[in-house]
Amino acid sequence: MSFQEQKLSNNIQPDCANCPIHNIGNLKKLGINMDDFDFVVALAGNPNTGKSTVFNYLTGLRQHTGNWPGKTVTRAEGGFEYHNKKFKIVDLPGTYSLLSTSVDEEVARDFILFGQPDVTVIVADATRLERNLNLTLQILEITDRVILCLNLIDEAQRNGITINERILAKELGIPVIPTVARSGRGIDDLLKMIYDIAIGNFKTKPIKLKSNSEELNKAIDEIVGLISVEFPNLPNKRWVALRLLEGDQSIINSILNGELGNIKI
Amino acid sequence: MSLFIYLVLIFIASILFLKRKQIVFLFKKIKNEDDKILQEDILKNIYQLQKQNTICKTETISTRLNEDKVKVQNSINKLQKLNFVNTVDEEIHLTESGKTYALKIIRFHRLYEKFLADKTNLNEKTWHKVADEIEHKLNQEDAEKIAAQIGNPVYDPHGDPIPSSSGELPEKIGISLSEMKHNEISVVLHIEDEPHNIYENIVNKGIYKGIQIRFLGIFNNEVSFYANEKLCSLSLDEANNIQVGIPKLEKIHLGEFKKLSSLSVGEKGKIIGIAKSLRGQQRRRIMDLGIVPGTIIEAELESISGDPVAYRVRGTTIALRKNQAEKIYIEKI
Amino acid sequence: MDSKSNREKIISEANRLRWELGENLYDTLMETIYNNASEIANKAVTYSDKKSPFSFDRTLDKILTSKYFGIPIMLMMLAFVFWLTIVGANYPSSILASFLIDFLHPELKNIFLSFNIPNWLVGLLIDGGYLSCAWVVSVMLPPMAIFFPLFTLLEDFGYLPRVAFNLDAIYKKAGAHGKQALTMAMGFGCNAAGIISTRIIDSPRERLIAIITNNFSLCNGRWPTQILIATVFIGSLVPAYLAGFISALAVIFIAVLGIIMSFIVSWALTKTLLKGEISAFSLELPPYRPPRILQTLYTSLIDRTIFVLWRAIVFSFPAGLVIWLISNITIDGISLANHFINFFNPVALIFGLNGVIFLAYIIAIPANELVLPTILMLTVSHLGLNDFGAGSGVLFELESIEDTAKIFQAGGWTLLTGINLMLFSLLHNPCSTTIFTIYKETKSWKWTLVSTFLPIILGLLVTFIVTKIYYLVH
Repeated sequence: MSFQEQKLSNNIQPDCANCPIHNIGNLKKLGINMDDFDFVVALAGNPNTGKSTVFNYLTGLRQHTGNWPGKTVTRAEGGFEYHNKKFKIVDLPGTYSLLSTSVDEEVARDFILFGQPDVTVIVADATRLERNLNLTLQILEITDRVILCLNLIDEAQRNGITINERILAKELGIPVIPTVARSGRGIDDLLKMIYDIAIGNFKTKPIKLKSNSEELNKAIDEIVGLISVEFPNLPNKRWVALRLLEGDQSIINSILNGELGNIKI
Repeated sequence: MSLFIYLVLIFIASILFLKRKQIVFLFKKIKNEDDKILQEDILKNIYQLQKQNTICKTETISTRLNEDKVKVQNSINKLQKLNFVNTVDEEIHLTESGKTYALKIIRFHRLYEKFLADKTNLNEKTWHKVADEIEHKLNQEDAEKIAAQIGNPVYDPHGDPIPSSSGELPEKIGISLSEMKHNEISVVLHIEDEPHNIYENIVNKGIYKGIQIRFLGIFNNEVSFYANEKLCSLSLDEANNIQVGIPKLEKIHLGEFKKLSSLSVGEKGKIIGIAKSLRGQQRRRIMDLGIVPGTIIEAELESISGDPVAYRVRGTTIALRKNQAEKIYIEKI
Repeated sequence: MDSKSNREKIISEANRLRWELGENLYDTLMETIYNNASEIANKAVTYSDKKSPFSFDRTLDKILTSKYFGIPIMLMMLAFVFWLTIVGANYPSSILASFLIDFLHPELKNIFLSFNIPNWLVGLLIDGGYLSCAWVVSVMLPPMAIFFPLFTLLEDFGYLPRVAFNLDAIYKKAGAHGKQALTMAMGFGCNAAGIISTRIIDSPRERLIAIITNNFSLCNGRWPTQILIATVFIGSLVPAYLAGFISALAVIFIAVLGIIMSFIVSWALTKTLLKGEISAFSLELPPYRPPRILQTLYTSLIDRTIFVLWRAIVFSFPAGLVIWLISNITIDGISLANHFINFFNPVALIFGLNGVIFLAYIIAIPANELVLPTILMLTVSHLGLNDFGAGSGVLFELESIEDTAKIFQAGGWTLLTGINLMLFSLLHNPCSTTIFTIYKETKSWKWTLVSTFLPIILGLLVTFIVTKIYYLVH
């Protein structure tokens, strides 16, 4: 299918064919007012990566950012319009991980898992890429529609760090957009990519974690087998299996009450 | 007048500084729950004795609990009426419902110990005592809330498996430390926390759950071994209270165990493990920041007083206090 | 039905596997993730050979945390920030005061009166509500508008984490976190802002300690009281040429006492109330970044200054109403305020204070800035002095120190009253803005109450003891 045709078929279908209508209920439960919006974008990232600056740039709101973790304690929301589509953007708390039991991490994780945002933008600090990839890889286990926003690229250059974003994008299987959010560099590319992923013009193929531990892989496979019987359409079975091995209560609950079955790509 | 006000102020100040639990305790004492506690303790003890295949009589229990025999017999009679135990030739056995009840109390106890270990700062020597009190006060709902909060643990901090909420419990894991062979390498899985004085001796020797053991042998009733490559010895009684084995996800390290705190500025090391005594949020936060086994770490900067020290990890600079760095093991490179 | 048992089977099977796998799952998982991460990073990232990355940062770190320069540099930075705040705030403060209080206040009153609005309503709204808001704005706004941006600049540059790093050893002894140094410093600007800034401490116990003890940082609103009382009572003890120096020393002593108290209370809390709370230390030293001056000015004005100021105004308007009402409602020919003062007087004397001070601290709870003008107004109206002030319920301050001293003398104030007022000003409940903020941040009534009453009790204890000693000596 050529690009033109693809666009055409998009137009023929009802307005929001590609945006998962089914998650509106979940989003409302998470306190998101979806009345006027076509797509939801989640903004995740480590603390102190310029996440709030990206948020401000996209929405025109002003939030203070600082060299400290924990600035965005409550979830901030804003909106923007691009190519006649209205986007709601949710700034998740800055976290290093999604695996611990802290409130911030639960908020971020539940939003990405149950809220099923149409696009998740991960803001990463280019000067500390390796550490930022921890969160990135965890998010890629949960959802496919992810963009890595490689922020502070000027800082990295100043310190003699060069990141080949093509290689990075290929390795991760998701688009990588270098930005300097404080000056607005790269934000246009980011916007375009958000749009493309939201309407389905761009398909991501994120990598999944590979563990060296035979025992762990065996255990995961065993649980994935059981999950497949009950929830055959669940996209992130491996991740759910891992969470079960970690004893995550909200996942256990969502299995017992069957809510997990609502999650689709 | 002024003296009165002085006294009132001191009274208020002392209430403010008194632990909340103590205040609650003052009021709780009035209610007589002794009987319920005794009954639950009896059920728990019968379960434990049966697990060891020991014949269980009223005397056995009254000595174990250090309680008056008549009182214990009374409670056992009540338990019998409730169909929790039955007695054949003075031998007491748990019924199915008695076993469920006993497992529930054990679950509460171990859950609460895990909760204390992960979510509070209480000294590990007091966990058992506190949990012994709380296990009788928790109800199912609160216990499940606690479990959810700490990630539904399956092991307590001493390495005992926690019965699941439906009463499942795995068979005994591991062998006793004294049963190891010369030069065999294993990992401490469980330290029995009763009797308390023996437990305390073990803890004081620096043995903790997760420490790697290389066994030497038994000489004159002294059990000798290397714990994280540090020479150590215990009495037979103490060693019998320690179970060892190799869990599936354990990595055995051959070679010396250096502490991260031993690095001086400019030196590098590779992390081989983090002691299990670094627990809960503390442990997770450190790992989230990239301090995980296999990481290259370099001491970069000392603060004015020499503690904390900032380390270079995966392109970031993380400051750790000395008492944290002492619990991270490295090999020098 | 079948589906339900299937689901339960998933859970119980996972449980069984967890027993088998042991407790290293999280470790293994993190190791896996980071192994993947470093593999990817190694492919995508190249470092230039010319210079090692962050060489500038490392050099700067070596200087800022060195044994010889670390502390002096820090003290100089802080001294500079405070000096700029105090000196720089004087001019805009007096301009604001002369506009909002001297000019706008009578004008507003005239305008309202010209609309035939009843006298009492004008008094209540303008003399009461408006005036106390005007007071808070003119005293509070300028120092905050200077202090917060400066602090934010240091923060954005990345210097503050180094301060926390350097001072952590001291705070560790008190069971606290090095970052408390920063929240305390912020508290010197405003306790409410200081408490919000404790978000940077991600360990629950240390954060609570920082919240509860933040009130011991002598905030902006309390400095004017300290300075005036020190000048009137302490400065007058020594020859004129020393007066300025000695009274400044007295104020500094109070501020240092506050810092010492915060350490003692932190330590005591970890041994008692917070004994069981979890503690987790982590401190990342982020790379230095060139600060963006304009944006910082803008955001810190919006986020911190206006935010805090707004909360203060919201609270001080009703306080102004109350102040005006209790001064103007009379029972048996005596105003409510005077009834209260007479009632409080005997108790207050035990603490070397007086009923006016007690009442002022109760009704001026919305903002410490209001305490001094309230005391002056209450004293004047209590004594029925007609030479001073602008009528009952109308806040005022005097240009001349001598005149102020005269009012205090007439009110029966002694050196003891002065000393104890300075101590009580340090050790009393946080202002209502701060209390509200504590509740918002902790979401716990228990900790809000502890942070509110602990300092009062300490304050009463200290003033009580000082009074005893004072009478022993005299």
